[in-house]
Amino acid sequence: MISVQGLTKSYSGFLAVDDVTFTCEPGRVTGFLGPNGAGKTTTMRVMVGLTPATRGTTTIGGHQYQAIPNPGRHVGVLLDASAQHAGRTGREVLHLGAKVMGLPDSRVDEMLELVSLSQEEAKRRIRNYSLGMRQRLGIAHALLGDPQVLILDEPANGLDPAGIRWMRGLLKGYAEQGGTVLLSSHLLNEVELIADEMILIGHGKIVARGDKKTLLADAGGTGTHVTSLDNAALRAALTAQGMTVAVAGDGFRVEAPPVEVGKVAAAHQIVLADLRPADGGLENLFLELTSQTQRDQFNEGATA
Amino acid sequence: MTSTAATNSAGGAGVPMQPAPGGSHARFDVAGTPRITFGRLVAVEWRKMLDTRAGFWLLLLTGVLLLIAVGLTLLVVGLNDFEISANDVSQILTIPLSLLLPVFPITSVTSEWSQRSGLVTFTLEPHRLRVLLAKLTAVVLLALSTIVIAIALGALTTVIAANITGNDVRWELEGRTLGLLVLSQLLYFGMAFALATLLLYTPASIAVFYVVALLLPFMVYSVLYGFFEWARDLIPWIDLQFAFAPFLDSTQNVGAKEIGQLSSAIFLWIVLPGVLGMRRVLRAEPK
Repeated sequence: MISVQGLTKSYSGFLAVDDVTFTCEPGRVTGFLGPNGAGKTTTMRVMVGLTPATRGTTTIGGHQYQAIPNPGRHVGVLLDASAQHAGRTGREVLHLGAKVMGLPDSRVDEMLELVSLSQEEAKRRIRNYSLGMRQRLGIAHALLGDPQVLILDEPANGLDPAGIRWMRGLLKGYAEQGGTVLLSSHLLNEVELIADEMILIGHGKIVARGDKKTLLADAGGTGTHVTSLDNAALRAALTAQGMTVAVAGDGFRVEAPPVEVGKVAAAHQIVLADLRPADGGLENLFLELTSQTQRDQFNEGATA
Repeated sequence: MTSTAATNSAGGAGVPMQPAPGGSHARFDVAGTPRITFGRLVAVEWRKMLDTRAGFWLLLLTGVLLLIAVGLTLLVVGLNDFEISANDVSQILTIPLSLLLPVFPITSVTSEWSQRSGLVTFTLEPHRLRVLLAKLTAVVLLALSTIVIAIALGALTTVIAANITGNDVRWELEGRTLGLLVLSQLLYFGMAFALATLLLYTPASIAVFYVVALLLPFMVYSVLYGFFEWARDLIPWIDLQFAFAPFLDSTQNVGAKEIGQLSSAIFLWIVLPGVLGMRRVLRAEPK
């Protein structure tokens, strides 16, 4: 539905986006993940015609964005929730959007309800909105025209955990109805929660893509967190199998898949209190893949 | 969500579409979606000028200035027993209009950048020239409607003034004078708009506009004009107000030279910045 082919954008010699190619399918939420300055926003801006591409093409639904008549009816866009006139009320912003798109004003109330902004809040001016409220308003604005495609830049930024859960439900529901979603984030946790599929970008280049499982498999195995009633025996058993075991919290971190750890425990009849894949695997992968562009150097793996 | 997938198939009768979602080739059917009409863009840009707190205060202050001008006119007329015509009153009342209102054409353009709302505006209508023309139309409509209000107020003032002094009501309002008043108001709005597109920054645009349109002619040019021969030769070519003055003065003959001077000033302050500014808006990347 969204197709990006060989997209390159350079600013006087600096390559902000370097030969990026990907597609986003209907019915799926695609997460665009990368550190700040990796080229996510630039890619999205090119998609919606705000920034001209140096090379390459982007199409949405088979069309160049500029060629879509009344694009708000087909593509919902949220590039920056704070990019609104601070002196306007939330309701006024939605009203203006509805008017441009030729929608009835009743749509404004529907959208306010959808994103849980009260009538009272909608009457306030945007300068008095929290970032979370701005994001909700931005989502409402993107959904106004009942589009088939959503392009959202850092939509979860500023949302509290409940807000992120709400957005996950909203976007999943939207995708299940056949919608296409592309959302960006610099936070792995957010994307992991919301997206079906991830595109990792660093230094303007795509460094990895796939769903969480594929990414982890590509990264070469996963770690496991394990805690048992007899940690000493478990450690001995695991080490005997040649697994690397390190103390982590109440239990261990083992460099082996959970199934293998479980098998060892079962063989030695050790009761497990906790067994789960170590998420740090993905986090490490993310940091590793994008490390050339990170401003901070990580010498001892991820602790985030 | 109400009918996300429904719009997929809306319209497009006769065009056999793929039963969309599923493949990467899923295409929108845009045949059933009409373009955004220009009238709708103008209506939205009109509303955007007035729906912020800044817009509200600007209009309110202009209203207050208008009333002060009416009050002062009546006071002077009453004290001096002047005879005053609708013509005179309308000319007086355009002064408060020209003071604050040019901020509207400026912020209509610059707020898309300084408030960053251009991100939304130019995404909903990617054809930026249409947006700019819609803004220009809204700005012209604002200029015209404020003149209508000023004339209505002027008529009222004329009647009251005649009642105070006991003179007859003098209704004559020359078409030529009226036309020139409208033209001069439009020229200043055009200049404000053009400078705004060129600078794309509210404080700079407002500052440059008021320095060029008000400060220089009143504080600098008028002095130079009075003392120096070269200033009398030069200033009408580069200043709208001095270029326009002969046209408002019915005792003066207007010839090719005056028309050339006005054209030169219009070119310098409206056409040139307007063309450069339009290029800038079409190319700039709203951040």
